[in-house]
Amino acid sequence: MPGPAGYDRAVTGVVERSASILDQPEYRVEGSAKVTGAARYAADVAMPGMLHAAYVTSPYPHARIGSVDVSAARKLPGVRAVLTGADTKPGRLGRRLQDWPILCWDRVLFIGDRVAAIAADTARVAEEAARLVEVEYEELPSILDTDAALAAGVPVLHPDAATYVFLGGTRAERPHPNVQGHAVHVHGDVEAGFRASHKVYEHSFSVPRTHQAYIEPRATLVWLDGETVRVVTTNKAPFALRQHMSVALGIPEERIVVDAGYIGGDFGGKGLSIDEFVLYYLARATGRPVRALTRYADDLQATNTRHAATITLRTGVDAEGRILAHTSRVVFDGGAYAAGKPVMTLMPGDAMLTLAGYRVPAARVEATTVYTNQVPAGHARAPGQPQNAFAAESHIDLIARDLGIDPLEFRERNIVRHGDVDVTGQPWHGTDGPAMLARLRTASSYGPSLARPRQVNWWGWGVALGVRHVGRGRAAMVLRKLASGRVELRTGVSDQGGGAHTLFQRIIAAELGIPPGRVAVSRGTTDAVLSDPGVGGSRVTPVQGSAALDAARMLKAKLAELGRTIDDAGEMEVTGEAAQETHEASMYAYVLRLTVDRETGSLKINDATLVADVGTVINPVALRGQLEGGFIFGLGQAVMEELRVEDGRVVTANLGDYKLPTIADAPPLRIELITDHPGPGPFGAKSVGELANPAVGAAVANAVQDACGARVMSLPVTAEKIWAELRKGSA
Amino acid sequence: MTFDYHEPRTLAEALALLDRYGEDAHLMAGGTATVLLMRQGLLRPGHVIALRAIDELGGIAHTPDGGLRIGAMATHRAVERSADAFAYSPALTDAFGSVATVRIRNQATVGGNLAHADPAQDPPPMLSALNATVSVRSSRGGRSLPIEELAVDHFTTSLAHGEIITEVILPPIEPGTRETYLKFLPRTADDYATVSVAATLRFAPGGTIAETRIVLGAVGPTPIRARRVEDALRGQPVSRARDAVDLVRDEIDPIDDLRGSAAYKREMARIWTGRALAQVTR
Repeated sequence: MPGPAGYDRAVTGVVERSASILDQPEYRVEGSAKVTGAARYAADVAMPGMLHAAYVTSPYPHARIGSVDVSAARKLPGVRAVLTGADTKPGRLGRRLQDWPILCWDRVLFIGDRVAAIAADTARVAEEAARLVEVEYEELPSILDTDAALAAGVPVLHPDAATYVFLGGTRAERPHPNVQGHAVHVHGDVEAGFRASHKVYEHSFSVPRTHQAYIEPRATLVWLDGETVRVVTTNKAPFALRQHMSVALGIPEERIVVDAGYIGGDFGGKGLSIDEFVLYYLARATGRPVRALTRYADDLQATNTRHAATITLRTGVDAEGRILAHTSRVVFDGGAYAAGKPVMTLMPGDAMLTLAGYRVPAARVEATTVYTNQVPAGHARAPGQPQNAFAAESHIDLIARDLGIDPLEFRERNIVRHGDVDVTGQPWHGTDGPAMLARLRTASSYGPSLARPRQVNWWGWGVALGVRHVGRGRAAMVLRKLASGRVELRTGVSDQGGGAHTLFQRIIAAELGIPPGRVAVSRGTTDAVLSDPGVGGSRVTPVQGSAALDAARMLKAKLAELGRTIDDAGEMEVTGEAAQETHEASMYAYVLRLTVDRETGSLKINDATLVADVGTVINPVALRGQLEGGFIFGLGQAVMEELRVEDGRVVTANLGDYKLPTIADAPPLRIELITDHPGPGPFGAKSVGELANPAVGAAVANAVQDACGARVMSLPVTAEKIWAELRKGSA
Repeated sequence: MTFDYHEPRTLAEALALLDRYGEDAHLMAGGTATVLLMRQGLLRPGHVIALRAIDELGGIAHTPDGGLRIGAMATHRAVERSADAFAYSPALTDAFGSVATVRIRNQATVGGNLAHADPAQDPPPMLSALNATVSVRSSRGGRSLPIEELAVDHFTTSLAHGEIITEVILPPIEPGTRETYLKFLPRTADDYATVSVAATLRFAPGGTIAETRIVLGAVGPTPIRARRVEDALRGQPVSRARDAVDLVRDEIDPIDDLRGSAAYKREMARIWTGRALAQVTR
């Protein structure tokens, strides 16, 4: 099948020439450093004379700060600086909207909001000093859910919003002062579609806050080197961080150097940093390097979680079950600050992608992110999608069952085909949906549901599908040809575990026709390499990978021009650039089979089949790891993960209470790859990092209903919720 | 946090250190609970007395009468893999093998588990169903107590300061006795139980139930022995089990938490007690 115009040339020939390298399982370039412990993570970096930071945080979800008495803390031996909001006012941080105070000076907006910061000789002294700071609070009425936030006459959480910096554009109009971001999309004649419908269905769903649950807590070290601010960090987008710091601190970007090396897991959470800003003030006040190592509890309680959401979907279908019209209302709880969201709309990236993957002739989609006095929400693996996919794929299943149409068949009737308009209003040119579902049906041995005897354990099928864009953006990197017949790529990409450096190595080796071992990949600080957009948005393979390929092609062209080979040419240097601006999307779908214990409501997933459109495979081992890991990541959010908050306080404040799946929870997973529809990435590659996780929750909920009749309308799908539904049914 | 770390080689030395430092001292066995509590700031001892170097606290072996002795410093993993423990009761090795992960089980000890008195732990209900006694030593001498008298509340035991658990003694099991340990884990394989049930049961020659002990975990401040269920079953035929199981709901005192609501746990206690009885009467 032909790819989008312009990609065919990239695909033909190159893949065949380089197939031998790309088909080999890869060795990670950083593998031995990680296995031997040589890899240096941010928390491993220490400086002579380094001080340690601790924070005074709010115990209230919403309060006015009265007096802050730091005198006892200042007197404690070993304390070098105590700063309050008065010292950082009016400084605020953020990725797009800078609304998060570096330290609060007038009000605190969530439990964990920072009021004072201490630098001391040891972490223990800093923590002791934090306990000695006396803050007088006047508690204010707190807004703990989105309905309360949008009511008339409620307190406005950000009365000074007009003064906030909004990076790279203008903030959109908001329908209510407690709204962070809001957007409406309409296409087609929605009312006519509903009027023509045989039946109209409306369902509401809710999804709780969850956490990215990377293993490495955030770590940051800041010091002043003459005029230069040096930063060692766990942030995965060092150039973006440099820009955010430059704006928030009023320092030119070239005077800030960010060093983001190995990152111990990300899952979308390491794009927001909050420590760098206050550490700069502490370093300036003390003249010493200052480091903050957060504990896991801090990461769970006071960074950017995945948004909780309530989602109401309404869909009209004709007598054959074809979708005619759709409306959706999605409300995300953005928490106290919008700072964690990088997109212009100040919503999770795919906030508007309800009912993804289907032909939708007419739709009205409205999404809103709302300020509350809760832990701030930001980006997490496939932002906005797990919420929307849970709602949409549950909704689709409910409609199919009500119409008496098999759920997979219903999807086959409605899946978007090339040229059809989908929920975004755009004609679809991505994955061949019907072919994907045919593959899924065969690979999973999906069959008609059987009659249901009322025995204790019975099993059911669950189907769900999803859509994820291929990353977009621009990147550049320098490739140096060394005299020894080797090349060195110099990149600003920090590998957060996805295998970026190995990917670049293999792309260059494949294009130049040399063994991967002759391609070195070195990661540089922001003063040493070309600007890079960072890791995120399914970007690394299609964008930075394309820049690496471009660099290899430039070198090849230069060698050809000189009439030289890689072995006999002298040193030279080329710059590879890529701009991947096309909108391209891939699909995935799964079928899983699970068994429900009708007496307890507990479920066991027996097996699962995942079909994913991945384009050309470059790192076969890492690709499989992303799909398997993505599925298990999704499984965690499907059945166990919930950042439980009570009265504004996170009560799952450790990984003993905030449970993640273990390998013992992972079912046998069969993976089928679709590789014959090339994408815009190098050699026709697409993105896979956020392709498999979003819709697992719906697949589980759908299979639960198939198994026992219980329908769970909220995540996670727990045994107790199933048990409660079964009781309702039998009462 | 700073503290002095002591690693005595003998029980006598450990007891002397406990007496010397009094309330400022805390014993550490495997450290899986102690270190967490210290990191969370819930425990701030000036002196940590580690028991790891005391050989006399180790070992797992049959006793001459056909029972089993488990040294207080035996790890969970050692019990799980012990041939003697398995021969004594496979349900016992099951219960120890149900705890957390293999990394934890390699470190956590039997005595440390009992002294920690976490009501959601797996081994205490099973040890109680097997009628274990716990041996305790202090500088004033030794005593032994039924395991049911050890835990008195959440994370609280009847031990006096200055006392060290030295071993757990399990009596010989009467011929014909069946045992089981069931742990309900609805979220993930690596978790505390939502409810757990340990049961032992022996039939009389006529087919009635001669003796049974049923102990539940995670549904009260300590492991809870379901005495009313036991009383309703003794001397009765198996057919009475179904009615007897309903009595368990009034014997337990579960709380709402992340592993389920109190109402759910109450119902699950009934279901899983029934399942445990089905296993030992099959």
